[in-house]
Amino acid sequence: MRSRGIAFKLVLFTLSGTMAVFVSAFAYVYFSSEASMMSYVEMNGRNATHAAAYQIESVLRGVEKVPVNYAALLTSGYYKTADLTLLPERMVSANPEIFGAGIFFEPGAFGAASTYFGPYCCRGKNGRLVNVMLGSEHYDYFTMDWYQFPLELNRAVWTEPYFDTGGGNELMATFSAPFYKMLNGEKKFQGVVGADVALHGLREIVSSTRLYRSGYAFLISRNGVFVTHPDSSLVMTNSIFSIAEAEHSSLLRRVGQKMIAGGEGFVELPKGVLFRGNCWLNYAPIPSVGWSIGIVTPEDELLGDVLRFSRMVILIGLLGVFVMALIVLLIARRISKPIQDLSASTFEIARGNLDASLPDIHRGDEVGTLARSFEGMRVALKDYIENLTQTTAAKERIESELKIARRIQMSFLPKAFPPLPGNSWVDIAARLEPARQIGGDLYDYFLIDDDQLFFTVGDVSDKGIPAALFMAVTKTLLKGIAEKGMSPSEVLEKCNLELCGGNDSMMFVTLFCGILDLRSGRLRYSNAGHEHPFLVRRGGLPETLAVPDGFLLGVNEDASYQTMEIELQPGDRLIVYTDGVTEAVNRAGEMYSPANLVAEIESCGSLRADEIAERILESVKTFSSGAPQADDITLLAVSFSGPKV
Amino acid sequence: MDLNGFKQDRFFIVKVGGRMDAVTAPEFEKSCLEWIVQGESTFIVDLKDLEYMSSAGLRSILVVGKKVKSAGGALSFCSLTPNVEHVFSISGFGSMFKVLDSLETALHSL
Repeated sequence: MRSRGIAFKLVLFTLSGTMAVFVSAFAYVYFSSEASMMSYVEMNGRNATHAAAYQIESVLRGVEKVPVNYAALLTSGYYKTADLTLLPERMVSANPEIFGAGIFFEPGAFGAASTYFGPYCCRGKNGRLVNVMLGSEHYDYFTMDWYQFPLELNRAVWTEPYFDTGGGNELMATFSAPFYKMLNGEKKFQGVVGADVALHGLREIVSSTRLYRSGYAFLISRNGVFVTHPDSSLVMTNSIFSIAEAEHSSLLRRVGQKMIAGGEGFVELPKGVLFRGNCWLNYAPIPSVGWSIGIVTPEDELLGDVLRFSRMVILIGLLGVFVMALIVLLIARRISKPIQDLSASTFEIARGNLDASLPDIHRGDEVGTLARSFEGMRVALKDYIENLTQTTAAKERIESELKIARRIQMSFLPKAFPPLPGNSWVDIAARLEPARQIGGDLYDYFLIDDDQLFFTVGDVSDKGIPAALFMAVTKTLLKGIAEKGMSPSEVLEKCNLELCGGNDSMMFVTLFCGILDLRSGRLRYSNAGHEHPFLVRRGGLPETLAVPDGFLLGVNEDASYQTMEIELQPGDRLIVYTDGVTEAVNRAGEMYSPANLVAEIESCGSLRADEIAERILESVKTFSSGAPQADDITLLAVSFSGPKV
Repeated sequence: MDLNGFKQDRFFIVKVGGRMDAVTAPEFEKSCLEWIVQGESTFIVDLKDLEYMSSAGLRSILVVGKKVKSAGGALSFCSLTPNVEHVFSISGFGSMFKVLDSLETALHSL
C-alpha cells in the first residue's frame, strides 16, 4: 500500500468514501422506499380484495332478495295455488345471478295424499330454463340443509356449498327463506323458498380479481372448505386447514381461523404454502355467507416494483461510482503526473547529473514550489561543487607548490657520501627527517679551507613557509659568513645582525656551530640558544658539551656570543641535534627525552658517523611508532679519527 | 592550551597551561596583544601548568615581549616546569626575561 502511487491512493480513498456514502444512501432509500411501497402494495391488495369481496357480496345480496320477497308473498297468502308452479321460473328468468330456484312445502300442505310439493326451475346446459317438480323418496328435500336450517332457525340462511344431485346437478350454494301460514295469530312453518348460486359463476368473479401475473384468488366457506380455487380438484374436497396440515404450517392454520372468523389481513407465507415461492395473502370476509376471499400474490411480483427500483438505484449508483472513478483517476493523474516528472528529474539530479532540467518550475501550485526548491538546490549544489572543485584545485596547487618548496629546501642540505671525499681524518654525517608540515630545521658542513671543517645545526622557530624561507636565508648567510674565516662567535654575531634587520614577526633560529681543525683536533664552537650537543670521548659515556650562553638569532641585535674550544682526541664523537629528537612524541603522548637519547648514543659504541645518525633516527621512529611527527628531526654526528698529517 | 588572564594588584596575570606549540601559540599571542591594547603593560605569565613549549611558543613570547617593551611595561615569568625551564635556559630566554620561582614571589618582589 505504501509503495502504491498517489493516483492509486487517491482513487482508492475517494472511491471508498463515495461507496460508503452511496451504500448508506442506497440502504436508506431502499428500506424507506420498501416500507412505503409495501404499504402501498398492501393497500392495493386490500382494495382489490375488498372489491372482489364486495362484488361477490353484491351478487349474493341480489340473490338473497328474491327468496325473501317470495317468502313474504307466500306468507301473506295473496297467491293462487295454481300459480305456484310458475313462480320458480319467474324467479330464475328475472335474476341472472340465480342458477335455480324453487318453492318447497311442508309435507301434506296440499292434502295428506301429497307428501312432497316442490316446483323448481334451473338453467339447463344450453341456457334454457328447465321446470321440474322435486320431492320423492330419492330426493327427500325435508332432510336437506337448505330446508332444515330455515325450519330450525326460523330465518333465511345460506347453506354450505354442496353438489345438488337430482336437483340442479351443479355445485352450488342455496339461500333459502322460510314462509309461514298465520293461524289464529300464530306463525306456522309452511315451507321454504330457495335460490341457488352456481359456484362456477362466482369462480369467474373471483378468478378475475387476480392482482399480478401468477397470483390467484380463492374462496373458502365458513368451514374453510374451498369454494373456488384455480385447482378445481381442491374445490369441495379440501379445506385451508387440510392444506395447513399437509404443509405443516401452523401459520396457515391460524390464518384460516382468522379467515373463517370473518377477519381480514395481509400476511406473508413461506415457500410451498399456497404458492411455490414466498407469497403474500390478502384476505377479507364475505359477511352474508360467512365466507372469506383470499388473494395470493407471489412475493417477487408483489415486490417487483421495489426490486426494479432498487436495481435502478444500484445501477445508477454503480454508474456514478464508475464515472466518479474515471474523474478521480483523471484528476489524480493530473496531480501525480507532474510529481512523477519531477521525481524522474530529481532522480537524474540525485545520480549526479546537475545539468538535468526540472519541469513545471512555473506552476503556481505545491508541485511548482517543490520544483523551484529543487531547482534552487540544484543550482546551489552545482555552484557548490564548482566552488569545491576550484578550491580543491587551488589547495592541490598549494600543496604541490609546498612539496616543491620542501624539495628545494631539502636540496640545500649537503647529502654527498662520503661527505668529504679523500678525507680520512674526520667522519661526518647528518640526517634530517622532515615533519609532514614544512619546517625549519637546517644543518650544513663544509671545509672552509684544507684543514678547517665548519659544521652547524639550526632550528627555525615555528613552521610553514615563513620558517622555510627563514631557514634558507639563515643557511645562505651562514655559508657566506663562515667562508670568510671568522670564529664561530663572530659568525653568529654577524648572522644575528643580518637576521635582526626588519624581523618584525620575531622569527628566530637557534643554532650551534663549530669549526674543527683537522690538524690539531681543536674544536672551536659557539651556541645561539640551541640544544647542547653530546660529546662522547673515546671509550667514555656521553656527556653534555659545555657551551657558552648565547641568545637565539634574529631577535636581539645587541646579543653577543662567545667561542669555546676543546681538543678532540682520535675516536671522540660529537652529536648535535634539534629538539625534534628529544621532543618526539609517541601515541601515549610521552616524549623521547634526553635520557633516551643518551642511552641510544651510549649503545652506538664505535659506529661510523652515518651509522650513529641512522641508528638514533631509527630509535626515535621506533619510539614514536607511527604517531604523527610534529617537528623536523635533525641529527649530525662528527667522529674525529685523528690529526691530519 | 588553557589561557586565562586577570588583573591582580598592579599586575596582569596570565595563566597558561597545557601545550604551547605552533597550533596554540597564536592564541596566546593574540590574547596578550589584545590585553596590551586594553592598556595592560606589566605582565606576569604564570607557567605552573605549562607542560611543553615549542619554538613557536618562544616566538610568540618574543612578539609579546617586544610589544610590552614598546608599551613601556615589563614581561616576567614564574613557576616554570622543568621542561620549560630547560627550554628557557637553552634559548637564553632566562637572561632576557625576569623569571621567578612562584607567583607569590613575583607579586612581592617585582
